Amino acid sequence: MENRQPAYQPPADSTFRRRGRHRTAAVRTALAGSASVLALLLAGCGAGAGVAGAGEGSGEKVEGGTLRYAHLQEPPCIYGGWVQQAFLSRQVLDSLVSQTDDGKIVPWLAKSWSVSDDQKTWTFKLKDGVKFTDGTPVDAKAIADNFDYWAAGGNGTVQAHIGEYYKSAKAVDAGTVEIALKAPFTPLLSALSQGYFGIQSPTALKERTDQQNCEAPIGSGPFTVGAWKRGESVTFEKNPAYNSAPENARHQGPAYVDNIVWSFVQDNTSRFGSLASGESDAIGEVPTVDFEAAKSQYQVQQYITPGRPVTLSLNTVKGPFTDKLVRQAFAYSADRKAAVDSAFLGVVPFEGNGTVSQSTPGYNKDVVDDYPFDQAKANELLDKAGWTERNADGVRVKDGKELTIDLVFGLNSIVTTEGATALQNLQEQVKPVGFKVNLVPVTQADLFSGAYSTPDKYDATLGYWTSPHAGILYINFRQNTKAKPNYANTTFYNNAAIEKTILKANSAKTTEEANKYYAQAQQALSDEAVAVGLYTQTSSLAVQPKLKDVWLEASQGEPVFHDAYFTK
Amino acid sequence: MGTVDTSPGTGQETKQETENDGGSSASARGTGPDARQRRGASRRADKLPASPGLRRAGGRLLTALGVVWAAATFTFLIQALLPGDRATLLLNQLTGQVQERTAEELAPINAQYGFDDPLIVQYLRFLGDLATGNLGESYQLHKPVASVIADQIGPTILLTVASLIVAWLISVVVIVGTAKRSRPVSALASGLEAVAAGLPQYWLGVILLVVFALNLGLFPVVGGTGFAGLVLPALTLGIPLAGFLGQVTRTEFEKAMDQPFALSARMRGMGDTGVRVRHVLRHSVLPGVTLSGWALGSLFSGAVIAESIFSRPGLGKILVTAVNSRDLPVVCGIVILVAAIYVVANLLVDLAYTLIDPRLKNS
Repeated sequence: MENRQPAYQPPADSTFRRRGRHRTAAVRTALAGSASVLALLLAGCGAGAGVAGAGEGSGEKVEGGTLRYAHLQEPPCIYGGWVQQAFLSRQVLDSLVSQTDDGKIVPWLAKSWSVSDDQKTWTFKLKDGVKFTDGTPVDAKAIADNFDYWAAGGNGTVQAHIGEYYKSAKAVDAGTVEIALKAPFTPLLSALSQGYFGIQSPTALKERTDQQNCEAPIGSGPFTVGAWKRGESVTFEKNPAYNSAPENARHQGPAYVDNIVWSFVQDNTSRFGSLASGESDAIGEVPTVDFEAAKSQYQVQQYITPGRPVTLSLNTVKGPFTDKLVRQAFAYSADRKAAVDSAFLGVVPFEGNGTVSQSTPGYNKDVVDDYPFDQAKANELLDKAGWTERNADGVRVKDGKELTIDLVFGLNSIVTTEGATALQNLQEQVKPVGFKVNLVPVTQADLFSGAYSTPDKYDATLGYWTSPHAGILYINFRQNTKAKPNYANTTFYNNAAIEKTILKANSAKTTEEANKYYAQAQQALSDEAVAVGLYTQTSSLAVQPKLKDVWLEASQGEPVFHDAYFTK
Repeated sequence: MGTVDTSPGTGQETKQETENDGGSSASARGTGPDARQRRGASRRADKLPASPGLRRAGGRLLTALGVVWAAATFTFLIQALLPGDRATLLLNQLTGQVQERTAEELAPINAQYGFDDPLIVQYLRFLGDLATGNLGESYQLHKPVASVIADQIGPTILLTVASLIVAWLISVVVIVGTAKRSRPVSALASGLEAVAAGLPQYWLGVILLVVFALNLGLFPVVGGTGFAGLVLPALTLGIPLAGFLGQVTRTEFEKAMDQPFALSARMRGMGDTGVRVRHVLRHSVLPGVTLSGWALGSLFSGAVIAESIFSRPGLGKILVTAVNSRDLPVVCGIVILVAAIYVVANLLVDLAYTLIDPRLKNS
């Protein structure tokens, strides 16, 4: 009994698994008596099931089966503008186009597309014979209705991406839809590949209640939403008529598995443990401490989220960071790579670029080394900025004011405990230079309610924003003016020249040209040191050896189960 | 007499209660015909038990309503007055962002939920809805709060009751087995109780998970709602509570062992176990029963720890999510429910008192 190993290999087919578990439960209830007898018998029973499943399989493909996936967070609705919702809605909804790992755009619901010479009109030709699972055809009208729905507030993140550019959508004929823009927008296709842009049945949107559309959006995707037991799991049922997989899928036609039981397992130990016990076939967000162990036993994938990395936005309109020299000194004064590596045990990569993450097409890798760890330089800059005196604690003082940095971060909502550790490392590192960093962890409710979003509430704040293209720069650094506020600009930094460069990129003729301007903008922002890069947002997956072809899609790192199948 | 007289209510209900009260006390005194006349020919009233119990029950009901009202009001005000803006929160939750919002963005949400009405108007609307039994609709789930609660209350009740049973089983077995035995045995058990009472539930839960689910494989790691998934969560909450119960029961138990009735039972030839279980235990459980009333409520609100470690659905998790997203209707609904459970649990405790110690019935 002592030598019994956890059953790493669950029994080969799910029916057996279920039967096995059932029997165990029956034994358990029957034995209400002596605890030791109970324990012995249960161990015996469990071991039996373990042995039955431990044999190495033949590797042959098995049709059907239930895929049990354990995920970290449970959002309030399946469809929405939060990345956690895209994880779920990706299983149910198809988008117009899909992005591949190398940043190429390939057909999905749209089989082809073209753009007018002035780059303001996009024409999409749709696949024929595709239907939503409620029977409504996926035609040009349906696509146009979805654009209207987003524009009317159906999805705030869609608006953040294209709201500035989108003008109108119209069905030219049943299979052709035309999207008109106010100005050219080169990253449009990339934006459309995200889960937020999943196409829903217009009939369902119009005729059903908010609750129904929240809990069970209707799309044309490989699965439909079955039962959602809140706090426990969502079941996705296979769509047997699925005929609209993206070109980068590994097969066309319906999914191989019958259904997915997508459970929400918040606790890291339990989630990783459920793989070891054979209760899960795959898990998301592999805990950092288990990452190395997982690699030797499971198929592990890590996805580095494109868009804005996890970075410190420095408040450029109030407090010490209004001075560019102080911002630069701050960036020089910490060994950020060491802070990140020690907090994340080397699992999550350091990101020195404060505005765009390394997996984003259009990333400028030259800016990573703009501010190496150099405390002599930091001291020099602070002296130059007039912070020449120090108080008894070694904190620099100017005009009687301490060089204090209030660093606000959303613990357990935006930042994991590992991220918080990285911040603590940083806090220690910058001390010798004379910065006093106050870490201010904020609850989710306070943070999201905007109570800490105004310039008088922080000197630095930690955040990220996923986006499959470098156009994220426009969202984060478009100027924030009275007439046209941009509260997504968390540095409050207004620079007309940089905005102009970003706009040039957004409306460039080709992606290459766009990326050239995006790179320029990143350099300019880095020179101003308005944002200090820390690490990349990641998502990861650990999959049992007998489950094949689960992959992470490229726009946001959602697991795709449409191609997944079990082997014997 | 008193409870009704001192109760804070001022409305119609109080008046009715007082009248009713007067009637039953008159009949309790058995005074003549006019008391009977005053109550008229109502047969139902005649049937009412003519005892102080009724008065007490009326008072209790009012107190209960008062507690629930206070809990609801407090929760409502806290949620509404916290820093930050509720409409901003809703919008940011929808997009996963943490930024300010423009007035144009906020206007439709404010209109939909009435956030820009004066607070007193919002509060009265909230009370009005509450009075008609309408708990409102969740901002986040777009679902009536009543059905949010109905969906989740089952697993929570199961867990709470199971934990309480586990706690009582453990503490009774330990007490009967060890109290007033040889000094080392007694001291060891008492020490263990103190340790158990101090165990952090989160730590205990993770240890139980790692040992019994992960290493020994006796229980599922992802608990779910089945019976096998209930054992470890119930132990997680039950073991510390057993420590508390043991501590308060042990002193009473040891005192009762020295009482004349224990001695006389022994003299009648009753065995030691018989004396312990049939006579002494009954005398010593009263403080434990009192504690259980509190424990039931506290288990209910503390269930979230076991729920997150063992991935169980339940109200605890829903409440934490709702607080995090300031989903006011859901938070209020659950707080009101927990308040009601506290009240009911304490009523049950009083009832249990008189069953255990019949002398209390007439006092």
